[in-house]
Amino acid sequence: MTIQETYKARVKKLLASGTVKMVIGYKPGTTADRRRPHFIRTPEEADQLVLDSACITNLSGYLLSEGLLSDEKAVAIFLKPDGIRSINILAAEAQLNSEQILILGFDSNDNQVTALEGEKVEEFTTLIESIKEQAPEALKNPLLEQIEGMTPKERFAFWQGEFSRCIKCYACRQACPMCYCRRCIVDCNQPQWVNTSSHTLGNFEWNIVRAFHLSGRCVGCGNCDRACPVNIPLRLINAKMAQEVLGAFDHFSGMSHTQEPVLASFKKDDSETFIL
Amino acid sequence: MTRILQSDKLDNCVARWREAGLTVIGPVKNESSSSYAAVEKAAEFDFSLIMPDRSIKELFFPQTEPMLHYTIKKQRIDTSDFTPPPEKRIIFGARPCDASGLAIDDPLFGWDYKDNFWFQRRDTTVIVTIACTKADDFCMCTSLKLAPDSTKGSDVLLRPLQNNKGWQVEELTDRGRDAFNEIADLLQDGSGPAAPTAVVAEKFNLDACVAWLQNPENFESTFWREISMRCIGCASCTFLCPTCHCFDFQDEGDTYSGIRRKNWDSCSFALFTMHTSGHNPRATQSARWRQRIMHKFNYFPGKFNVNSCSGCGRCSRQCPVDMGITETLQAISTLPS
Ligand code: SF4
Ligand code: SF4
Ligand code: SF4
Repeated sequence: MTIQETYKARVKKLLASGTVKMVIGYKPGTTADRRRPHFIRTPEEADQLVLDSACITNLSGYLLSEGLLSDEKAVAIFLKPDGIRSINILAAEAQLNSEQILILGFDSNDNQVTALEGEKVEEFTTLIESIKEQAPEALKNPLLEQIEGMTPKERFAFWQGEFSRCIKCYACRQACPMCYCRRCIVDCNQPQWVNTSSHTLGNFEWNIVRAFHLSGRCVGCGNCDRACPVNIPLRLINAKMAQEVLGAFDHFSGMSHTQEPVLASFKKDDSETFIL
Repeated sequence: MTRILQSDKLDNCVARWREAGLTVIGPVKNESSSSYAAVEKAAEFDFSLIMPDRSIKELFFPQTEPMLHYTIKKQRIDTSDFTPPPEKRIIFGARPCDASGLAIDDPLFGWDYKDNFWFQRRDTTVIVTIACTKADDFCMCTSLKLAPDSTKGSDVLLRPLQNNKGWQVEELTDRGRDAFNEIADLLQDGSGPAAPTAVVAEKFNLDACVAWLQNPENFESTFWREISMRCIGCASCTFLCPTCHCFDFQDEGDTYSGIRRKNWDSCSFALFTMHTSGHNPRATQSARWRQRIMHKFNYFPGKFNVNSCSGCGRCSRQCPVDMGITETLQAISTLPS
């Protein structure tokens, strides 16, 4: 049986037995290479389920859809390692109870999908630890290195050019499972803290605010980067911030559901005299 | 007799138009994204794109634009208006769906009040459209009763020649004729065979959809929740759409002086309808998606007798979760009205 068929059978069983009330997975999209999020509530709906290397979206953000988890019933969800890490963060930040989430883990490499052992988020700890080990290598990016080699002026010009295309559609925010704030700082308009205009200043403000708010929280799933309709290379910002928190604080996001957030923790004996 | 513009003469045309004081704009692709942008040479155009990622609307209705400068004094408020630059432009190589989008929005911007920001640009811009010989899976102009060679909103329609070496010129308005008179000596008489226009299959039955939307009983249908469950509420679809036209006013400055700007806004955002009290009449994403569909295919045609969609398909092409107008209207076509 292919992995897709094995998982399909498992999904049907989970729903038929009432173990979970919904399974969030993928189904075919408009074109052959596209997949759509699929909300499966009955065993029959599982017939459309697809699991292959085109399933790239991190679906974990849907878990926070209004009312979905409030009845405390379990929900199963297809997740790759980055998605599993985002469950840890959402749990650590008190957005969900990870006990309620049943993980259907998978990974894909070279167009090959493999199943991941485990159901509860704690069961993936060893896997996540090994990903942390590889992170310094994995986060390397030739373009990033090129940007780091630039003078501050050149770097500013590079990002100004990229951000000049930003249309403030906020698709990056909406696609990000970590951007769950009910009212984003850019939507706080009494007073308006951040310019909503997409002029140079406004675009810088927005993208810098988001980079900071995602530092040490971003799992590098790439949802934002793929969602951006004008292809701003947001992955570079994410990778850079991940390198920074890893180097400065040995912090790798989403290690466990009790991990302290790197930019929101405080120690009395902190060696710094200043906190942000 | 039809006239022909040969591709190898286009660079001369661009130069001629620029000498005549026109800004020449067309489809341009840089490494990562494409849009209609100003060019100096014909080589900068990219006519191989199905269409630019970003629609033509930003040239008439920019994503952010200053409206007035204000100073609040003790007894009065002084204001001074901004007006769009009185620049003359020619857009060479618009797509029929983009040009149609502008024509669709004209009655909206000119309805109870003539929006000068829009019309000043409309009046000084010549739109030269190239009929499509290629389409992709997302194109749906024919479902909107338009076509890959629609003339709506265009001043000149060009049909690519079969030999791919130029275009048949069809002048449609005086504005178009004037712009082409400027380059008359660069045109050739004759009419080589035109390449066949793209075949765009009809994706849904528009009349059936409109009838369903007009039935008040369907307003509260569970259909809306089902179809929009995966919508993440970004404004990608709105902002890329050539006809979506909602905007927000923002005052930027300090307490005493600043600039009032007009910024794109979207019915996909929760904040769009949020009241000061905190109550939101469109509290859910499904209510917001319903509004987008209803506005385009029920309210807008009710007022202006034309659907607010030209079938470019950008909403579906770029949606991060593979939704869009097409899927929704396809689903509605199959529902009993
Ligand atoms: S910032 Fe982008 S890459 Fe990081 S978690 Fe959010 S969507 Fe994923
Ligand atoms: S998705 Fe891209 S264009 Fe939209 S707000 Fe984010 S960075 Fe800007
Ligand atoms: S339909 Fe797609 S592009 Fe439009 S708001 Fe929803 S998620 Fe964003």
